Amino acid sequence: MTSLACQSLDVSIAGKNICSRLDLELEPGQFWGLLGPNGIGKTTLLKCMAGLSPPDSGKVLLENQEIENLPRRVVARLLGMLQQHTVYVFDASVLETAMTGRHPHLAYWEREGPKDKQKALDAIRVVDLAGFETRSVTGLSGGEARRLAFASLIVQEPAILLLDEPTNHLDMKHQIRIMNQVKKQVTGEQRGAMIALHDVNLAARYCTHIVMLLGQGDWQAGPVAELLNRENLERLYQCPVEVVQTSGGRRFLPGS
Amino acid sequence: MLWVCLIRAIILNLNQPSHVNQSCKMIPTSLRRSLLFILLLLSVSSIFFASASGSVTLGWSEWLAAVQEPTSRHGELIWRLRLPRALAAWVVGSMLAMSGCLMQVLLRNPLADPYVLGVSGGAAFATLLGMVFGIAAGFLPWLAILGALVSILIVFGLARGTGPWSGTRLLLTGVVTASGWAALISLVLSLSPDNSLRGMLFWLMGDLSYATLPSWSLAVLGGSFILTLGLARSLNVLAMGETTARLLGEPTHRMLWLVYLLASVLTATAVSIAGSIGFVGLIVPHLMRLLVGSDHRILIPAATLFGGVFLVFSDTLARTVLSPQQLPVGVITALLGVPLFLLLLNRARLKGV
Repeated sequence: MTSLACQSLDVSIAGKNICSRLDLELEPGQFWGLLGPNGIGKTTLLKCMAGLSPPDSGKVLLENQEIENLPRRVVARLLGMLQQHTVYVFDASVLETAMTGRHPHLAYWEREGPKDKQKALDAIRVVDLAGFETRSVTGLSGGEARRLAFASLIVQEPAILLLDEPTNHLDMKHQIRIMNQVKKQVTGEQRGAMIALHDVNLAARYCTHIVMLLGQGDWQAGPVAELLNRENLERLYQCPVEVVQTSGGRRFLPGS
Repeated sequence: MLWVCLIRAIILNLNQPSHVNQSCKMIPTSLRRSLLFILLLLSVSSIFFASASGSVTLGWSEWLAAVQEPTSRHGELIWRLRLPRALAAWVVGSMLAMSGCLMQVLLRNPLADPYVLGVSGGAAFATLLGMVFGIAAGFLPWLAILGALVSILIVFGLARGTGPWSGTRLLLTGVVTASGWAALISLVLSLSPDNSLRGMLFWLMGDLSYATLPSWSLAVLGGSFILTLGLARSLNVLAMGETTARLLGEPTHRMLWLVYLLASVLTATAVSIAGSIGFVGLIVPHLMRLLVGSDHRILIPAATLFGGVFLVFSDTLARTVLSPQQLPVGVITALLGVPLFLLLLNRARLKGV
């Protein structure tokens, strides 16, 4: 089973400390939420965990090997990341773009086979883009482009999924749809996911674990039931928080 | 030339993503394959057509007779003059089109062309210097390659830096280097004697009159084509941006330099054969993108074939339109290319971009 671990990880950007000595292990079947105010470094941390940029010190281990020493192709078969922004410059069809998720699984001269195509078609249906297969990606709306990027990630079939605000630009229905899909990947396929979010209530509803970035390198990580409470959230976002009991459990609202 | 470079830089920077093919559905894959077949047929027939037309236009039966008798007057005309020239035109056109496709991926910009990073400027400057100092014509292509190499090294060295690959940084370094070459070229031109000026100007505009096709250039074309086709799926991924490509398993640093090197070698070879023929490397990939989409597994062969057809056709026009006066082919490609390009841009704008 593939897991992704951070070992006493120090990450900073432009002299700003994002986390000091961060230890956590993202195991199969776990759904981590990454919370923190704007500009605290959630994206930078995710990029570091994906091996896109080196940490200041400490290690990121993918299947117990340092991610920096693994060839990107090997990493891409195990770990996939949905970036915060999706911009398509060149014309390609929606189907072709979803199929790029197969790229790390194919050899240089190999073409996508019928199985690959079927996976892409299934993923397109999952993100509610069925009927768009032959449309050009340059004509998609922001939300549609986002859902397509998520479809490519499903097609990539990584054991570890890192998602940078996947619900950006999405309406309520599609937010839930994406979150359900990530949950299905986590519980059904025994994959591990970490998701950067601003919506605390989506985290409360879906996540099993939480990591909070508090600034100046401080962080907190642990099971959702221990961490997601009023005191921690008020400290995290520096604003009053009200707790509401619903049939689905505790939910959080900005207080006054 | 200086301001041409600068205007080009401005256009490249103004260009926002997603300006082409807004909502239209693309050609289905099966049709794309038949398009490749049609382009192949067009390539062969364009070369035949070029060998039959010119100051002496040959009919079908005359042409057939002449081809079978290489020693006859018409036979010599075809075998020694027209066919080699048509073939050179085809090869140069293919190279420029392929290089254009690669540059567009490298800079993630559908409006990039093979000359934008100054490769041709270096080649042109070295060749002109060679002409001034009366170096034998056979050595000029080597000088061109040398000049291109110097240019690549300058841009490579300055744009690399330590940070991640930056298309903008590469573009700016390239464009400024190109402007530098343009200035040096103007300097050489203004200091050259009048009697050699005409030949130099023709060469600068892109001219196939004295073009001979060295056999190694075929190897360059064939080798690059096979390599590029093997990397075509990676090119698709690279076109989606460096980070996306890395997340999908591409060692992007290595790949992007390889793409840069391939594009530069193709451009340098083309320039060394025929001077800086403009617009082929811009218009052909652009048109083919509109036709077949951006899957490089189809786009690369389509652009390569059509680049050849386009330049053979343009060169035939250059030889015949004011016959017996011959025009530099670069003038024709620009005269065809500019309105076509404006039309495409305008079409994109009408669609509401």
